[in-house]
Amino acid sequence: MKKLRRRNVSEEAAVLYKRTAPEKVLYGFVFVIFLIYALSLILPFVWLFINSLQDKTVYEINLVLNKPFAFPKKLDWSNYAYAFQKLTYNDTNIFGMFFNSIWYTLVRIFGGVLASAFTGYALAKYNFKGRNVMFAVIVFSMTVPIVGTTGATFKLVNDTLHIYNTPFYPILKYFSGIGMNFLVMYGFFKNVSWSYAEAAFIDGASHSKVFFRVMLPQATSAVITLGILTGITAWNEYMDVLLYLPNFPTIASGLYGVSRTLPREGYSTAYFAALVISLIPVLITFCCFSDVIMKNFAVGGLKG
Amino acid sequence: MIKKNKNTEAESARSLKNRIGDMLYELSLKFTRKNKKRESEKTFKKSQAIFLIGILCLPVLNWLVFWLYVNISSFVLAFQNTRGEWSFVNFTLFWDQLTSPYGDTIGTAILNTLKYFATNIFVIFPLSIIISYFIYKRIIGYRAFRIIFFFPAIISGVALTTVYSNMISPTGPLGFILKSLGVNVPQEGYLMNPDTATRAILVYSVWTGFCSNVILIGGAMSRVPVEVLESAKLEGCPTFKELIFLILPLIWSSLSTLLVFLLTGLLNASGPILLFHPDGGYNVTTLSFWIFKQVYGGGQLGGTGNYGLVSCTGLIFTLVSMPVILTIRWLFEKIPSVEY
Repeated sequence: MKKLRRRNVSEEAAVLYKRTAPEKVLYGFVFVIFLIYALSLILPFVWLFINSLQDKTVYEINLVLNKPFAFPKKLDWSNYAYAFQKLTYNDTNIFGMFFNSIWYTLVRIFGGVLASAFTGYALAKYNFKGRNVMFAVIVFSMTVPIVGTTGATFKLVNDTLHIYNTPFYPILKYFSGIGMNFLVMYGFFKNVSWSYAEAAFIDGASHSKVFFRVMLPQATSAVITLGILTGITAWNEYMDVLLYLPNFPTIASGLYGVSRTLPREGYSTAYFAALVISLIPVLITFCCFSDVIMKNFAVGGLKG
Repeated sequence: MIKKNKNTEAESARSLKNRIGDMLYELSLKFTRKNKKRESEKTFKKSQAIFLIGILCLPVLNWLVFWLYVNISSFVLAFQNTRGEWSFVNFTLFWDQLTSPYGDTIGTAILNTLKYFATNIFVIFPLSIIISYFIYKRIIGYRAFRIIFFFPAIISGVALTTVYSNMISPTGPLGFILKSLGVNVPQEGYLMNPDTATRAILVYSVWTGFCSNVILIGGAMSRVPVEVLESAKLEGCPTFKELIFLILPLIWSSLSTLLVFLLTGLLNASGPILLFHPDGGYNVTTLSFWIFKQVYGGGQLGGTGNYGLVSCTGLIFTLVSMPVILTIRWLFEKIPSVEY
């Protein structure tokens, strides 16, 4: 069986690798373009890292002397020390920003993924009264181009719910069962066989037991993928935090806050060091789960 | 003889009685079984209803509060002045902002928004399809490219805009290379010149814009049956013919979903204006940034803090764009998607 599968995979790969002579030229040309684009995405961050180790005065002098490629003669780790010890925004240091980023990210992952798993499962697997209406409403909400509701949302959060600048804001706002997450979960559950659930029902399992013990574990890959992508989006979110949680600066909104002041005060290199620090958790997460993300992220159609 | 007959009569009467008794017993058994089945079905349905209510109540409540209520409230706000009285003042203010030749007006914002939308739909989306295709066709280093091209999605906008600004500034590495090649780089930099600032941010949007599209389109392509490609190859189908006439129709379901999302974001299309120019100067304002500016800290970035004006602007643009987008979506649904 394994051999057969391996043979099928190699046959499949062979079809994808087959090229005629003119195609080989085309692929060579495209490869060069891809390489240039890939380098354009990597090299700026190498530059950022190198300059985060540059002496702050030397960096400013190099700017004036038009020496953008100058390497530091001595690695200056004091920029990192500054970022860890002195960098603050709204009275929050970098550790506080990390703490805010962590809880804000976890709340959004938990709320966003769980709620979309709930709605996706209910609509994909149960034929209840109002199911079609609910599906239509979800798709309508996602595809109607509504703009300008920020004012009303701000009023709701600030004046009606009184959750402005409190951790309750992301808890309530992001327990949302619509959006791209819903589409992914709905598509996933639609393709999972119902016979497992039926067998569990015959054995006397309840609906919640079937969902949490039988169906949700089958969706682990989709849940992990959505969790990671939601997590990365939340970790990098700055506008939402600036607008609704100004006293809880996350690493993204905090660095936005200091992005204007630090370089003007001559601390560009310390700002670069802080940026490098902020990238480390995301890069580690991505390195660990890149395969899962690449394999499992797929969106189907909008038809119910 | 008579006695014998009497005995058989009595026996048959007894067996008849027994048979009737058995039938009645069976009937009652059937009835109770049916009742039990009906009852268990009822309990099953009841527990199903309780389960569904349990898992759907919170997402539905969230939708009612953060979508329905917000939209109704936004509609009402459009017809109220800052004191909460019914008025059309927001429409007058909107018109003034739209036609005013000074400052970061709605007019500039809408023009820039359309530029970003056009870039998304005519540059980023087609290029994403082409990139996904070559990655799907296993170009050399495709695994590494797939991961590297996804970087802009995982790296924060703050870091990306910082390196981009530094790269293209006249004192930065790219600015230095361009100047060495004889390109006329504005002295103040591309981002600090009102004529080039929006174009520079558009280039940034293209530079960072492929990531999730490539993953989604690539995911859809990977599900295309290879037998189809093989038979096309045998008939000598060239690269771009294969992409346009074979693969695109097969992944239409995913493509149309992505396109619908792109169209839905028509008026929200924007670059990270806040990160490049927090005050929206240099003619870079977009509609979504203009809205953010009005609301943020009650107009801390130079906005009005007038939520009614924001809602009124949103209402007008929603009414203008909604029929167009819903018609396009309806047309997309008319195109049959291939099942395989």
